[in-house]
Amino acid sequence: MTENDRAILKVSELSPQAIGWSRTLDLLIIVVAAFLIWSVSHISFLLLGGDWDFFIDWKDRQYWILIIPITTIIMAASFQAIFWNLFRLPIGATASLLLLLLGTWIVRYHSWEGLAYFPISLVVPGTCLMGALVLDAILVLSRSWLVTGMFGATLYGLLFYPANWTYMAGYFQPVMNMGDMTSVADLIGYVFPRAGTPEYIRIIERGTLRTFGDTPTWVSAFFAAFVCIFLYYLFWGLGVLACNARFFPVGERFKSLYGAKGAKDQTAGGPVTQPGASS
Amino acid sequence: MSLHLRMPRRGLSLSLLLAVMTFASTLVPVPVAAHGERATEPYIRTRTVHWYDVTWSTQQVGVNETVTVEGKFHLFTDWPDAASKPELAFLSNATPGAVMTRVESYINDMPAQQSVSQLEVGGDYSFKLVMAGRVPGRWHLHPVLSVHGAGPIVGPGHWVEVTGSAADYKLPITTMTGEVIDDLQHYGVARLQLWQAGYALIAVAWIFWWIRRPLIVPRWNAIRKGREDLLVTRTDDRVAAAMLVLVLVVVIFGYHHATQKYEYVVPLQAGSFKTKPLPLPPPEVAVQMKDATYDVPGRSLRLDVEVTNQSDSPMRLGEFTTANLRFLNKSLAVALAGVDPSFPKDLVAGSGLKLSDDSPIAPGETRTMRIEATDAAWEIERLVSFLTNVDSRVGGMLFFFDAQGQRHMVEVFGPIIPVFTQLQLAQRH
Ligand SMILES: [Cu+2]
Repeated sequence: MTENDRAILKVSELSPQAIGWSRTLDLLIIVVAAFLIWSVSHISFLLLGGDWDFFIDWKDRQYWILIIPITTIIMAASFQAIFWNLFRLPIGATASLLLLLLGTWIVRYHSWEGLAYFPISLVVPGTCLMGALVLDAILVLSRSWLVTGMFGATLYGLLFYPANWTYMAGYFQPVMNMGDMTSVADLIGYVFPRAGTPEYIRIIERGTLRTFGDTPTWVSAFFAAFVCIFLYYLFWGLGVLACNARFFPVGERFKSLYGAKGAKDQTAGGPVTQPGASS
Repeated sequence: MSLHLRMPRRGLSLSLLLAVMTFASTLVPVPVAAHGERATEPYIRTRTVHWYDVTWSTQQVGVNETVTVEGKFHLFTDWPDAASKPELAFLSNATPGAVMTRVESYINDMPAQQSVSQLEVGGDYSFKLVMAGRVPGRWHLHPVLSVHGAGPIVGPGHWVEVTGSAADYKLPITTMTGEVIDDLQHYGVARLQLWQAGYALIAVAWIFWWIRRPLIVPRWNAIRKGREDLLVTRTDDRVAAAMLVLVLVVVIFGYHHATQKYEYVVPLQAGSFKTKPLPLPPPEVAVQMKDATYDVPGRSLRLDVEVTNQSDSPMRLGEFTTANLRFLNKSLAVALAGVDPSFPKDLVAGSGLKLSDDSPIAPGETRTMRIEATDAAWEIERLVSFLTNVDSRVGGMLFFFDAQGQRHMVEVFGPIIPVFTQLQLAQRH
């Protein structure tokens, strides 16, 4: 236990026996929160991101780069707001994306490879984990949701493409198939059939974004960053709303047990500070 | 085979389906043999794509060995309004998952890696699918034409047994830049997992840095007592700054490395190809449907048709086919010869075709005749729900043969009346 830990416990005025319980409670809450963050992040992503992350031959230069960051930042922002406002813990975004990645891999092996016989090369996922770390780190440095949204969310959107291109570039090497040139990713999608997913339902580089020269990737990445800023603010707000849970009033004896006796009576209200107020 | 969903929000619906499948999969055993070929509405199966001359090169393949399914399909003129016209379609196959791999596929001898667009209703096309064994087992292999807005339209299915060991499956390829990939199934996976594990390690370190301290109640109380300064310290600031730099350095290094290593990359290849219908000679026989009934208790489809022979050779009716079922005129050798030995027996109706008058139709003659196609297959194949359709219509193909054995294919379609009792039947005729 560090000096700082002792200082926090002192300020918290927990009774000696409650300190031990409090650590047990921490562990329980970590487990419960992990499952909660995992399932909420995963379901939200399945509903919104869907096909673009399932298959390697959906990972185009336009929609993949745009859709994955903007569909994952919403849960990252919400959990970040909750953990920061209630506990000043800058781990919400990282936890959301880390658990999403873990859950995604479980499903890829269990369902996609295990039940549908898809090779893993067909169903490799991308991740926004690096952007989430940046989002949390900037929140610590700025102590401000406004600044985090401005710079963190921008980097969140921008980093997705380079962070994943690192290990996915190889899938876009040219290869010949039946006399036509195609990419390795397309070939994988062709060779391993998906009966319920005919080729035409892929949405590959359509619309006006495609007309910006021959490097639509960075155009998409910047557009993703731009959208991420707004979604970050919106869903930070949703996280703040979730913090405003109401509680039953409790007796003085119980308050002194868990160290809330000296505090201003906030049992019926929300967080003390305004969301994102800087220290 | 999972059915292609006909909803515009397919991302959402597929995701929902997947979520449900994922959670249900731990509870429900997966039926490996049955798939949805009979679940498609009869109006789709009888009035959209009529598959014919379909052959399977073999019924047993080892892992890595190939089986070729080829034949033709006719796009029906009386295409139902409830299904989208074949403006965009993809030639696929129905197997439960990727148990067989697609080696080659063609429509009209053109490579069909991508979708085909602007198919013409009324036209005929040839197709060819070359599949390789991957997972040992007995798999029902069908050709499928997935039509955008109409769903997968499944052709006749035949059992193909894949023998050997799944571990022996391998697909080596060489890219155009000369990189040798020893197995497409695993390509890039180790590299990707290593990087993502590295990312995850940084994330775990970050989370651990925070959760190792007294957490929930003490921090909550500290905030309420105005001592936020204790919760995020100078050291935390330094760690966060270091984390920010680390992430940026890792991403920039990784990206730079990848762009150096893979200098030549191509975007995903999408788009569609176009092909004209096969140049078949027009049939020299005209058919007009006068009346059609389905006798529910008797499991019999009865068509009263007016046939005009426009050729200069006498004609006989040899076959009626719809929804992959084949009803043959057993007294016509040339019609029986039209069934390839590899064609699945369960799709050839045992009782065949009964005709009110089987004598050759003379050149120029117009004859009204009754065609009866009776078989339990109508029930088994779940084709009898004519009543549940918005338009109670039936359709199929009639194969006439002239004296030289030349085949003349004509469409037959029109409204159909289900008949539930013998009395009703007697009144009607
Ligand atoms: Cu089948």
